[in-house]
Amino acid sequence: MTEISAKYEQLVQDLRRDFRPQREWGEGRGLFLVIGHFLVGVAAGAWLFGLIFNYGPGLVAGFILAGGGGIAHLAFLGRPERFWKMVRHVRTAWISRGFIGLTLFLAGAVLYLPPLVLADWPWAANSALGYLGWGMAAAGMVVLIVYMGFVYTASKGIPFWNSPLHPVLYMAYALRGGIAALLVTMALFDAPSPSAASLVTIWIAVTAIVIVLFALEIQGALTGGNPAARRSVREMLAGRMAVYFYGGTLLIGLVVPLALLSGQIAPFGVGVLAAIGLFSALGDFFMKYTTIRAGIYLPLRPRQLRHR
Amino acid sequence: MRWGMVIDLKRCIGCYGCQLACKAEHGTPPGVYYARVLKDEQGQYPTVSNISLPVLCNHCEDAPCIEACPTGASFKWEDDGIVDIDHDLCVGCRSCMMACPYTNRYFNDQPAHYHQQGATPYEAARTAHHQSNVVMKCNFCRDRVRSGKPPACVANCPTVARIFGDLDDPTSEVSRLIKERGGFTLHPELGTGPSVYYLPA
Ligand code: SF4
Ligand code: SF4
Repeated sequence: MTEISAKYEQLVQDLRRDFRPQREWGEGRGLFLVIGHFLVGVAAGAWLFGLIFNYGPGLVAGFILAGGGGIAHLAFLGRPERFWKMVRHVRTAWISRGFIGLTLFLAGAVLYLPPLVLADWPWAANSALGYLGWGMAAAGMVVLIVYMGFVYTASKGIPFWNSPLHPVLYMAYALRGGIAALLVTMALFDAPSPSAASLVTIWIAVTAIVIVLFALEIQGALTGGNPAARRSVREMLAGRMAVYFYGGTLLIGLVVPLALLSGQIAPFGVGVLAAIGLFSALGDFFMKYTTIRAGIYLPLRPRQLRHR
Repeated sequence: MRWGMVIDLKRCIGCYGCQLACKAEHGTPPGVYYARVLKDEQGQYPTVSNISLPVLCNHCEDAPCIEACPTGASFKWEDDGIVDIDHDLCVGCRSCMMACPYTNRYFNDQPAHYHQQGATPYEAARTAHHQSNVVMKCNFCRDRVRSGKPPACVANCPTVARIFGDLDDPTSEVSRLIKERGGFTLHPELGTGPSVYYLPA
């Protein structure tokens, strides 16, 4: 069976189901979208904490991750050569807003970063151009942290994503990802900064917030009366996505970092900090992956037809 | 004016005529269905009955797919309320597919034919204007409608279960049927304002 006919058979089967899973975001080339969303979120968080802790390598990491996220988004698009057209509908489309945010962020970083890390750059970080770059990147960063959850909330066809908590949850992921990126960056430069302890404290606090928000979202989906949302939760906790959820999100993203943090596995140091960051980020990736793949469309047959 | 459709579930026999007529009219590739028929069973043996629900794009008044589209490729014709896609603008991001609560949009990811040897001359003619890697959906056969003909699914329905007309005109047949026979839309709770109504079976 060719790839096309396999996909066709799959679609025909899906169309017959009451609970049709969405496959466009997350399967096949759709995986690039998950990677793009993940990288861009982490990038914005890394930039934020790089600014807060005045940590240049964190800013560089943010820039590189955002560039990677942009490329992943392009790889996902059916028509990447038309990407610039995504600027056209900023009035209503969150994807347009995200695109503008990413463009602002990258352009601002290009103005602000080089004078910060390279000697003899034509302009200084505290020049007018440097400040302009700082402002653009900061504005872009805010958009990137905020917009992503709204992309999902605006997806009326997928009740599980349609939760008002989703944007807040995605903001928390961006913060958790940003801390993770900084922890890894410190190890790469083999330089634990004095802010490492504060970062770990913030990581613990943000992780606690993520857990509470996620639990609330699951509870809302289970009790909200929408069968498609309930089905999504089932897919996540006991269905197709369960292995990624328990293995990736819970074990890799939560249990292992907490065990490392407790000092039971290895003596605390730069390497352990980096491992915490790496596992935490991997866990966030799986969280996004499972949430996207667990998306189930609203059933089409109205109840009055089924039970008449 | 606002074009709309009424589908009489009492008359529909689930013959798939509309689905085939649509495929013939638009030459949609495998995996793309502008019109399709859902089948369901109801009751318990021995009093079981089959129910058919033909579905297509609802040309929603407040269309979430248009809101979600970042390029403006998904748009509404101001003069007749038809929701359409400008394929030259579509980047294939598929957010409209996630936004449509009626799952009536399809991603045409590569040129595909029904026959192993490739497109037949008829298919080639029908698909000449298709683009791959973009999203496709029903446009109420706008070209036919503008030339005074009904959409292909309406013209080919053997039981006359589909009626097409102006929802803004209170004297039109569609408006009258909706009023007299209690026409309903799918998922009215979402506030999308579908232009496709169903008459109870
Ligand atoms: S049915 Fe779906 S594709 Fe058609 S107008 Fe409504 S939201 Fe858009
Ligand atoms: S896939 Fe095309 S029509 Fe759909 S939202 Fe993206 S650009 Fe718009």
